[in-house]
Amino acid sequence: MEVAAGRARGRRWEQRVLPYVLLVPGLLLLVGMLYPFFLGLYYSFTSYYLQYPHLFKFTGLQNYLTLLPEPKFIYSLKFTLGYAIVAVALQVVVGLGVALLLHRQFVGRGVLRAMFLMPLMMPPVITALMWKVMMASTKAGILNYVLSLFGVPPINWLGDVNPSLVSILIIDTWGNLPFVSLILLGGLQSLPYEPYEAALVDGASGWGLFRYVTLPLLKPFIILAATFRMMDALRIFDVIYATTVGGPADATMNLHMRAFFFAFQWYQMGMGMAYAMVLLGLVFLASFILMAYWRRAAEQTTL
Amino acid sequence: MNPRDSRRSRVSPVTARGLRGSFLGLAIFLLVVWTAFPFAWILLTSLKQPLDVIAAPPKIVFSPTIDNYLGIFIGKQRGQYASTRPDFPRFFLNSVMISFGAVLLSFLAGVPASYALARFQFRFKEQLAFLFMSFRFAPFIAFLIPLYILFQRLGLYNTYSGLILAYQLISLPFTVWMLRSFFMEVPTEIEEAAKIDGCSWWGVLTRVILPLSLPGMAVTLILGFMFCWNAFNYPLMLAGRRTFPVTVGAIQFISYEEVLWGQMAAASLVAVVPQLILSLFVQKYIVRGLTMGAVR
Repeated sequence: MEVAAGRARGRRWEQRVLPYVLLVPGLLLLVGMLYPFFLGLYYSFTSYYLQYPHLFKFTGLQNYLTLLPEPKFIYSLKFTLGYAIVAVALQVVVGLGVALLLHRQFVGRGVLRAMFLMPLMMPPVITALMWKVMMASTKAGILNYVLSLFGVPPINWLGDVNPSLVSILIIDTWGNLPFVSLILLGGLQSLPYEPYEAALVDGASGWGLFRYVTLPLLKPFIILAATFRMMDALRIFDVIYATTVGGPADATMNLHMRAFFFAFQWYQMGMGMAYAMVLLGLVFLASFILMAYWRRAAEQTTL
Repeated sequence: MNPRDSRRSRVSPVTARGLRGSFLGLAIFLLVVWTAFPFAWILLTSLKQPLDVIAAPPKIVFSPTIDNYLGIFIGKQRGQYASTRPDFPRFFLNSVMISFGAVLLSFLAGVPASYALARFQFRFKEQLAFLFMSFRFAPFIAFLIPLYILFQRLGLYNTYSGLILAYQLISLPFTVWMLRSFFMEVPTEIEEAAKIDGCSWWGVLTRVILPLSLPGMAVTLILGFMFCWNAFNYPLMLAGRRTFPVTVGAIQFISYEEVLWGQMAAASLVAVVPQLILSLFVQKYIVRGLTMGAVR
């Protein structure tokens, strides 16, 4: 009897207390991560200049009110959002094409898949440096040389406003296209046969099959890939830092870069945190919308 | 039968197949060039003398040299381009130590936490799991600014322990979610059977869950290490010359006075060698890792 009671008590302990005990080390680290976050949130409401500690003062919404009408802030916000939308759209469309290609049967498909994966595991900053070598502005740059064979004059890839936007997009796409393609390839491989059989009976073919069967079934995968890419594209930093450092003429200065500049070039920690918080809000808003969209798409396709 | 073959076409079947075949071939060719060319070019660049790097038009044929590799590894001095970065081997070791330390700490905290999140029912479980996940999406700058200030005050700036702690922002959420997803794959029946045989929770964890998810744990370890290896922005501001990892070390070849293209190329290649080797082992899990277990 005693043993049984003891065991029952043990069970209860295991159910009620044990999970919390198991979580203690993880929670300690979690608190170690949340503490700086909330400290930073507090800083965003202060005037905190690293070099002038005596000016430290709680200023409420002052930082946010200062940055909102600032044209440079508005440009950064537009660039951050615009870049993310263009990058994700491009990468999803091209990524789908590559996924369809890798889904076909051909000799050497396994090797190509393995090779295509490699950019994904590179440190983004190294990816950026590799492209920086190829994007040299003179004819010594291999990209300009190849273009010159087609009669295109040399492009100042990272030094002119419009080319620099395209360059960031190219480098980012090189590194992250495999991510989109692999998710969509996984989706293609998991598609059921029945809808195809039904569509064939109805006389669908080629493009129609893709447009009305494959694409709708892939929708949850497309949204999932877009969600993850969107989160990362909104926060893109390493590639810009290693190539244009926000230039030329602030053309590639997204919210992330500007927060970094405020904090570590001008030592305005409060203002930097205000920018960081705006970016954080943007990322969470985007993830919230996309997640809701994904949930709906996932439900529709399983019905 | 492939549905596409049943399509009626004005082009005769043989020509159509030939056309489609050559289109497929072209697409494969473009994909290979797109993926492989940057690697090939950085390799060529790393084997060039400084004058060959800036030659116009770019040289495909040149007399290769290993000076750049000697330069970054033993700081060999050469002619007028004498500026070298002999501390690169140190950066490499720093990367190994910090990444490994970070993953190890994440495992110590993450294994019990993931076990709790995978197998127990308790209040705020999903909220807690989501809290871990949210760090995957947060912009690093929101943590970097306060960490920079805190580390200066606490003496953690430019130390290995400080960096290992900062890297928890990368490795801990990942480790918890990956291990959770692998632990959840262990059938509950086996666990129930072990409990009936008198196993305590400790016995279940160490004799059932951990052995059965050993491959998953290896994958988590390797991928976690790789993500830490890729980290750039935290060490950029929290590390100093003594503790720089390879990612920050590689941009040291670019300075206001000059850019050491050849040495930078060599350093870049050396910096990704571990990634390319490790990725061979975890190829099938990379997407799962990048989505923190959401996509199997």
